[in-house]
Amino acid sequence: MIRHLLKLIWNKKKAHSLLLVEIWASFLVLFGLTSLLVYNISKYQEPIGFTYENVWAVSLRSNRDTTDLAEKIQRVLQRIKTYPEVESATQMSSNFPFSQSSMSNGVDYKKKHVMADFYATDENFAQTLNMPVTEGRWYRSADSVGKYTPIVINQKAKEAFFENELPLGKIIGDRFKVMGVVNTFKAKGEFMANTPAIFELLDPKSSWHDLFLIRVRPGTDALFEAKLVKDITLMVDEWSVEVDHLTDSRKNQHNLTLVPVIIFLTVSGFLLINVALGLFGVLNLSIAKRRGEIGLRRALGATGNGISEQFIGEIWVLATFALLIGLLFAAQFPLMNVFDIQAGVYLTAIAISIVVIYGIVTLCALFPSRLAARIQPAVALHEE
Amino acid sequence: MLTNYIKIAWKVLLRHPFYTFITLFGISLTLTVLMVLTSFLDHLFGSHYPETKRDRSLYIMQMRTQDSTRTGSSSGPMSFKFLTEYAKSLKTAERVTICTFVNSSNAYVGSQKIKLNTKYTDADFWEVAEFEFLEGKPYNEQNIANSDQVVVITDDFKKHYFGKTEASVIGKDVEIENLHYRVIGVVKGSPVTRPFTYADVYYPYTTPKSNYQRTGMRGGYVAILLAKKKSDLKAVQDEFQNNIRRIPLPGVEDGYKFAYVEVKSEPYVENFTGTLLNGNKGIKTIFFGVIAFILFMLMGLPAINLVNVNVSRIMERASEIGIRKAFGAPVRTLMWQFIIENIFITFIGGGIALILTLVIIQLINSSGMIAYADLTINVNVFLVSLLVCLVFGLLSGVLPALRMSKLKIAEALKS
Amino acid sequence: MINLTNIEKVYRTSSIETLALNNINLNIRKGEFVSIMGPSGCGKSTLLNIMGLLDEPSKGTVELDGQRVSTYRDKELARLRNEKIGFIFQSFHLINDLSVVDNVEIPLLYRSTNGKPRQTYAKEALEKVGLSNRIKHFPKQLSGGQKQRVAIARAIVGQPEIILADEPTGNLDSAMGNEIMNILQTLNNEGATIIMVTHDENMAKRTHRLIRLFDGTQVQ
Repeated sequence: MIRHLLKLIWNKKKAHSLLLVEIWASFLVLFGLTSLLVYNISKYQEPIGFTYENVWAVSLRSNRDTTDLAEKIQRVLQRIKTYPEVESATQMSSNFPFSQSSMSNGVDYKKKHVMADFYATDENFAQTLNMPVTEGRWYRSADSVGKYTPIVINQKAKEAFFENELPLGKIIGDRFKVMGVVNTFKAKGEFMANTPAIFELLDPKSSWHDLFLIRVRPGTDALFEAKLVKDITLMVDEWSVEVDHLTDSRKNQHNLTLVPVIIFLTVSGFLLINVALGLFGVLNLSIAKRRGEIGLRRALGATGNGISEQFIGEIWVLATFALLIGLLFAAQFPLMNVFDIQAGVYLTAIAISIVVIYGIVTLCALFPSRLAARIQPAVALHEE
Repeated sequence: MLTNYIKIAWKVLLRHPFYTFITLFGISLTLTVLMVLTSFLDHLFGSHYPETKRDRSLYIMQMRTQDSTRTGSSSGPMSFKFLTEYAKSLKTAERVTICTFVNSSNAYVGSQKIKLNTKYTDADFWEVAEFEFLEGKPYNEQNIANSDQVVVITDDFKKHYFGKTEASVIGKDVEIENLHYRVIGVVKGSPVTRPFTYADVYYPYTTPKSNYQRTGMRGGYVAILLAKKKSDLKAVQDEFQNNIRRIPLPGVEDGYKFAYVEVKSEPYVENFTGTLLNGNKGIKTIFFGVIAFILFMLMGLPAINLVNVNVSRIMERASEIGIRKAFGAPVRTLMWQFIIENIFITFIGGGIALILTLVIIQLINSSGMIAYADLTINVNVFLVSLLVCLVFGLLSGVLPALRMSKLKIAEALKS
Repeated sequence: MINLTNIEKVYRTSSIETLALNNINLNIRKGEFVSIMGPSGCGKSTLLNIMGLLDEPSKGTVELDGQRVSTYRDKELARLRNEKIGFIFQSFHLINDLSVVDNVEIPLLYRSTNGKPRQTYAKEALEKVGLSNRIKHFPKQLSGGQKQRVAIARAIVGQPEIILADEPTGNLDSAMGNEIMNILQTLNNEGATIIMVTHDENMAKRTHRLIRLFDGTQVQ
């Protein structure tokens, strides 16, 4: 029977070419959409590795002031820690969680060159963000002795550098000494890829790191925030102070990912509905055109179900042709590792797209084929 | 004759409501997406409030310095001093404004926090950008020379800071980061998608914390050059580049030794795409490739779908064609019937799309997703859509009509 | 072979009732060559449809090989049509998108015959009607007589006991018509039971028995 269907489709290939192109194009659109979805969902499933509720980012800007900056920053930090509302405070580089800025560098270890995100923080960072340290411990200011800077790396960086080696105490990039390992750290939120991250102890004498993360008591409101800003500006007048709540910053980061995805989803959703309607219409018409053939097949011994199976079979054969051509295109993505996304993401997307395409064509063929099954052979044979 | 054609077309549409629905769905979907898209692009790049003179403006957004080996580069906005020296002095330009890009800050009213964006500008800013003043007036050269602590605020900020009040707030006090300012004017706000003019609070550049005194070349300022007329843009650009060539090379900035300096003054679109793609050739091709593919699919899929349905339907109507041909209707007349029928349905689809687009644009504007969004269907967008409409009508009308005209009378009558 | 008792067929639309067949009693024996004649609209085709299990009578019973078929369901009817009956139509009803041999093998598709023997049987059937040199052609490349011969090959490929022919020569000139009649007679001589609807007295004369219908009633 399949051979018979293949012949039927093949001999009508000209008439079917538009349908073929349509299914092919739908597959590509669907592949793009599912790749995007699968990619983001797979990222979303990995934990971000820290808590952000009730954490504020306080950034300072010295403006025209150029004297004793580092010392002033430390004074402000000490002052912040004295408030009863503040549970924990930490100083770090400007690329705080969910911020727009990032900093990355290549680091060498045993001929391996790894690009990693760098975060300069002080000893209270893990405590402020409730980050569990899975191996070793978070570095302390006292660790900064000799020529090595203490660092903590995340699981991803550990895999990239050490594979099966034990990381603790190892020196990487000639000047970093690994003190501990944390699980994941996705600073840009759930939709960020889990990439290697390195935390290094910041130098308190440097004037570069003018940002604090503070964890406040739950329920602390803007009144305290206003007081905090006022107190800081009184300590260092001429300076600017800005407070961001990490929950807000996280929302902004999410929108950067979600808005394009939602737009793409809506548009392709409508496109696919459009295609499905068209397919349905075309199949309906083709059944009206083939009433004679249906009557004949019934006379020659086909059952009603046999007829409807034949029509679904035909559209499956057609879809298979279209998908095979589509696969030639789609397979390039995992093969050429386009956009540096894991092959698994593309393969899952291809699998889902194939299933959905078969689902759509079956759904579109179901009603017309039921219609075909109900055609009275006696009537259909004598219409002409 | 034409009304007759349209009458027939109307009847044909009503006779097959399902296929009419499929066709209309495809057409209106495509056109809606297209129109919303163009409307959004127009919102991003067109000359709209308050940058109504954008078509004769050049934007200077960043300076790029490179070392002698051209391996590393550093880029960012410039200092007020630098722009005064190299941009403000332009003789071919009608006016030049120097302002900061968007900065953010917080203000507190009682237990409420207001996140706000601020901008330090010169007095010319109010001439280059045409803000609508709801209350008061802009600050002038005099205010700037006196270092008056005055601000211009937006109606939105007024609502948040002073509460919902109809009363004028001119002369009232605003406290931001422990500094007190006197409100001098209230303007209708600019959308966030226009970062050169967008802010909640505008300060004269001589107020504290503006850093305009910085001596180096780099700082936090950008500039807009306004040409007298559109054809002058080239001359302004040339004069500015001449100025840039006078920068002594090599030089040192913040300990970074540079041998090359690049500062571009570009129309808004180029400036926007330039920063987005950062001049990287490879990314540029991929980016435009992806966009082209999406557009192709967006237009192509409904088109194929439409042609497909039309081709299938023409066979359905083959007997009708046969009878008409048998009674002596020439092929041309039949062709016209089909083309007009398709153009007709395309225009109906276009009408539906227009309504849908209006609704969607209204939703975007009122959703607050983009504050002060002012998406509109303007004449250009509508004309482009209409043209696309026509192409669609012809594409899906001519192909099936051609097939049909080849149909033999006997064959058409038989099936 | 086929036994019809008190067959009545009524077509109903919302406003009118048409009596297509009225009290038909017919017994067709194995190996007979029967022709049915009558003017247009007299119910010939309806009768043939009922005998071919394509349509059900409103009243009366149909027996095939002594079995009453009124209780049979779609699946069993389809099997009977496939195995016992071969159809030939006035307008041939060939599938234009399939080659001659592919058209002929269709009945075998609906019983599980394997691909290889299927092709062999189809070629044998085509040889019988004298078309073995046209197996790769498509219906559009054939003349009317050739098309009808393909249809006959399709009717006999499954080796049915009964062949139902609905005006098999109606669309053909007399020379070709005679040719088709010759083939049918040969098939009848080989043992097939044939029931043929026709307009043509000359063709009818060549059969064993003639049944005349007028307005749904058997008159002879």
